[in-house]
Amino acid sequence: MDFVIGIQGEDFVAVAGDTVASSNVLILKHDHNKMFKLSKKILLLCVGETGDTVQFAEYIQKNVQLYNMRNGYEMSPTAAANFTRRNLADYLRSRTPYHVNLLLAGCDDIDGPSLFYMDYLASMARVPFAAHGYASHLTITLLDRFYRPSEFLCPLSCPLRVKCLMQ
Amino acid sequence: RLAILPSIIRGDWQSHTQCTNPGSIQTPLHHSSSSQTVKKVIEINPYLLGTMAGGAADCMYWERVLSKHCRIYELRNKERISVAAASKLLANMVYQYKGMGLSMGTMICGWDKRGPGLYYVNEEGTRLSGGMFAVGSGSTYAYGVLDSNHRPDMTPEEAYDLGRRAICHATHRDAYSGGVVNLYHMQQSGWIKVSQNDVSELQYKFREGN
Amino acid sequence: MSRRYDSRTTIFSPEGRLYQVEYAMEAIGHAGTCLGILANDGVLLVAERRNTHKLLDDVMFSEKIYKLNDDLACSVAGITADANVLTNELRVIAQRYYFQYQEPIPCEQLVMTLCDLKQSYTQFGGKRPFGVSILYMGWDKHYGYQLYQSDPSGNYGGWKATCIGNNSAAAVSMLKQDYKEGETTLQSALALAIKVLNKTMDISKLTAEKVEIAKLTRENGKTRIKVLKQEEVEPLIKKHEEEEKKAAKEKKEKDQRDKAE
Repeated sequence: MDFVIGIQGEDFVAVAGDTVASSNVLILKHDHNKMFKLSKKILLLCVGETGDTVQFAEYIQKNVQLYNMRNGYEMSPTAAANFTRRNLADYLRSRTPYHVNLLLAGCDDIDGPSLFYMDYLASMARVPFAAHGYASHLTITLLDRFYRPSEFLCPLSCPLRVKCLMQ
Repeated sequence: RLAILPSIIRGDWQSHTQCTNPGSIQTPLHHSSSSQTVKKVIEINPYLLGTMAGGAADCMYWERVLSKHCRIYELRNKERISVAAASKLLANMVYQYKGMGLSMGTMICGWDKRGPGLYYVNEEGTRLSGGMFAVGSGSTYAYGVLDSNHRPDMTPEEAYDLGRRAICHATHRDAYSGGVVNLYHMQQSGWIKVSQNDVSELQYKFREGN
Repeated sequence: MSRRYDSRTTIFSPEGRLYQVEYAMEAIGHAGTCLGILANDGVLLVAERRNTHKLLDDVMFSEKIYKLNDDLACSVAGITADANVLTNELRVIAQRYYFQYQEPIPCEQLVMTLCDLKQSYTQFGGKRPFGVSILYMGWDKHYGYQLYQSDPSGNYGGWKATCIGNNSAAAVSMLKQDYKEGETTLQSALALAIKVLNKTMDISKLTAEKVEIAKLTRENGKTRIKVLKQEEVEPLIKKHEEEEKKAAKEKKEKDQRDKAE
């Protein structure tokens, strides 16, 4: 099933996701991208109910881009995460809630890298690593065991990520 | 030379008596096929085709609305709408009615500046681009035929044959599918209708041929 | 003739003017002076206080300078009642932004949002524009210390030093002459502000109770907005007077020398 993962290091956030689009028992597509580029330094990974994922992510993406155009500078990852969560929370209490689980990864010029975990109930937390999907139950334990922020350089985290995906 | 893209449309579990199964094949050339009395390939305009699966009324209606929007787009912009944009219009329209009981599984196929395009759109608002889809109750059977016989370097004739074969086998196994196979071919100059074959006749042919 | 066009804000006169908006700007020309100076290590707002009366209860922390949020303050010139509505609106805008993004509103966005409101009152039916010009000082992570000015028409701009209210044109030209770009410190900005205010205010002698001064600085990663107490303003005025005296004396001596020659 759907799986996305993100790991933060000292000066980077690494994210990965599967690329399968399935409907019931059928796999409709093998190269389906679940990542949305919100701005130059913010990435949103979106899994959940089909239809909702794309609609919600694009809605957020367009709003962030509008902000950037209007103000001439980029929205910070923290602001983008809070904005996303706020929207998700407002829609949750409307007649048309979005059933999506999200990871938001970003790098800020001042505050450095950050990773935010959000679920469809609009809870949010800033975390060093996170994953969504059934595989997350397995990978989180691995990360709990092996996560060493200070030792992570970008290439080093890759084997760990692959390990997680393989599990 | 061409990837193919057949699709099977679900015969109906609802009260449609005249449903059959079309297939649609795409890529540099795309095709699709459809049915007896109800034509399961809807001709949106000379460069766009849509297939029907699920609720016939929903498919017919929303694809008619889509063809209206495509025409308006053309009048406003003096240029044909892209397949990506057309399929997104459809996906956005049905997404608004999500959870309200629409039933629609469709493929939008066409030819624009970017070349051939194929999208799968359903009532949940899902919209996927791809090279090969099968939709409907018989789609699993069709995928079986397609996946095992498809090659990226097929000639149009081979693709036609594969499309027909996929639909044919699907209708054979699927209790809710049957009728005729309408085969269309999308080219740079627009679609052409390649053939219309009765499934039962095709089944004899394929049995002998194999 | 102009009666036909100036009773409604939304109607242009034949010369293409909006009289109500111009009248509003005129009203500000009579209001107490406000001036702002941008320095390298902070921003400064100085406002003239007119309502001074010994019976007036001075519980009010400041009359014309308002804190908007942790990083922003403004001073107003014009109709005080209108100004209260606008400052309230400014605070709401700032909080609304904070609510949505969990981060303080960037200065220009606040000014811009309020100016959208001000502008709408010059266009939509049957309303009177706000008779208020505002100076904003603030800090944000994008552009650091900033100073903005907005007027009743909804125009706004960023400034290094500017002035609104009574005699503002004269004050701006003085500021233009004396402002040293890139080398202004908060201390020299304070001296400059007193000097300009002393010249442009319609009173013979500047006293501490007639002015309100607020400065905005950054300390330990936090913005600090401080309204100066009267005791802190007095030395500034005194120092200024001494310098004036000294300059006058030197001038006198020079004149005498010139005469002798």
